[in-house]
Amino acid sequence: MATVAPENAPKEVPEEPKIDLFEDDDEFEEFENEEWDDEEKEKDALQQWEDDWDDDDVNDDFSQQLKRELESNSENN
Amino acid sequence: MTVYMSMGEAHRRLSEYVNEFTEAIASQNGAALKPLLAISSNSPHRESVASAIQVFKDISRLVKQVDKYAQLGDMLQQHIRCMQSFQSKHYIDAYYALEKSSNAFLQEFRNWETAWAVDALYTIVYEMRTLAEMADREMEINGKNPDKLKGAGSFLMKVFGSLVGKGPKRLGALYVTCQLFKVYFKLGTVHLCRSVIRSIETARVFEFEEFPTRDKVTYMYYTGRLEVFNDNFLAADQKLMYALEHCDPQKEANIRMILKFLIPVKLSLGVLPKEWLLQRYNLLEYIDVVRALRRGDLRLLRHALQNHEDEFLRSGVYLVLEKLELQVYQRLIKKIYIIQKQKDASRAHQVKMDIIVKALKWLEIDMDVEEVECIMAILIHKNLMKGYFSHKSKVVVLSKQDPFPKLSGRPVNP
Repeated sequence: MATVAPENAPKEVPEEPKIDLFEDDDEFEEFENEEWDDEEKEKDALQQWEDDWDDDDVNDDFSQQLKRELESNSENN
Repeated sequence: MTVYMSMGEAHRRLSEYVNEFTEAIASQNGAALKPLLAISSNSPHRESVASAIQVFKDISRLVKQVDKYAQLGDMLQQHIRCMQSFQSKHYIDAYYALEKSSNAFLQEFRNWETAWAVDALYTIVYEMRTLAEMADREMEINGKNPDKLKGAGSFLMKVFGSLVGKGPKRLGALYVTCQLFKVYFKLGTVHLCRSVIRSIETARVFEFEEFPTRDKVTYMYYTGRLEVFNDNFLAADQKLMYALEHCDPQKEANIRMILKFLIPVKLSLGVLPKEWLLQRYNLLEYIDVVRALRRGDLRLLRHALQNHEDEFLRSGVYLVLEKLELQVYQRLIKKIYIIQKQKDASRAHQVKMDIIVKALKWLEIDMDVEEVECIMAILIHKNLMKGYFSHKSKVVVLSKQDPFPKLSGRPVNP
């Protein structure tokens, strides 16, 4: 289907003639059919969310670096 | 490329097209009518008809046969003119012709009681929007103020009006609504979405679940985006998740778009996507944002916002992501607390402001004690941290129980 998508990637284009045409880069593509096979188990995107990530683990690199920084006696504040 | 066509051949082609059209109208065959109306989309007839009309120019007599079944002779003539202009890339002319054709079609459509022509009407609606966009582009190039898409929007509202009622035609209303959303989003006049949304959601004749999946998914995507613009994260989550759950799995571009807006919403609710998801759908601009939240790394968050500023601004999620700073502060202070607890559990619930200043400085954030106190006050006020701070002793005293309440799907207190 010939939706006229802007040829320019999201770069700054100030040279265009002054227009107020708002380019919605996030326009949904038209679906070809009204209905489709709605099998939920194929949808990987639905299982990728974590709400229990906020743990007490400080063994990662960042936390270790933070620990070293806090313990350091550097007076260059 | 000029192809020589005889008058006879031209007449034959046009007759064929007109006959098919007439037959479809006479037998009220929507499936046969729909492809005949295509202009910009896969149009099997456009090139043939457009070439023929260059040669056989006067079709006013030819189209009259349609009038036996419905007042569409003029409509058909305009539609053919539209094809001709489109084929020769004169999009403003094409739009004008289509506008006449579409209005005439809508007038007849109102007279048909069944929904036989709804699918064909979709094509009219789609082409009005598409040709209007192309006409506007042509106007810009010619230094004129583009206003065709706005006009197409008005026409679409008329179409919408013709579908609000008790009859079977009402099932077409959501498709038209979504086309209107696309118009308004393109023009940046999203406040105009409100009236159609109100009609869809409050009119008694509409039962949302009755509408085709295609339209329900598209509707939830756009209304979900509107909720994001308005910082209604719980509503945005519900709508965008609906779109994600029911989207055609083969339409990866659309799934990606849903995720593009869903991710900032989830983050605002304290829910993190696994990195796998970001890689899978090429949403790499969020990788550092998510990492920053996990770590409590303010520097990383700021860098991520800076590096992808243009992208985030264009899609309108920049402010949502910027507000995540508070949650990153929460995580950072929590880490400091845990590190202290490992060293000396009895005193860990007291965190010196100076320590926080030091940690921030390490993260290239220059703040004095007073500014840090401000942040602490906000965190406590928004229930991201439980406790109090002493200005005199320059210490944050954390509650011994659950000092850093998790969001887990709740938005931050406003």
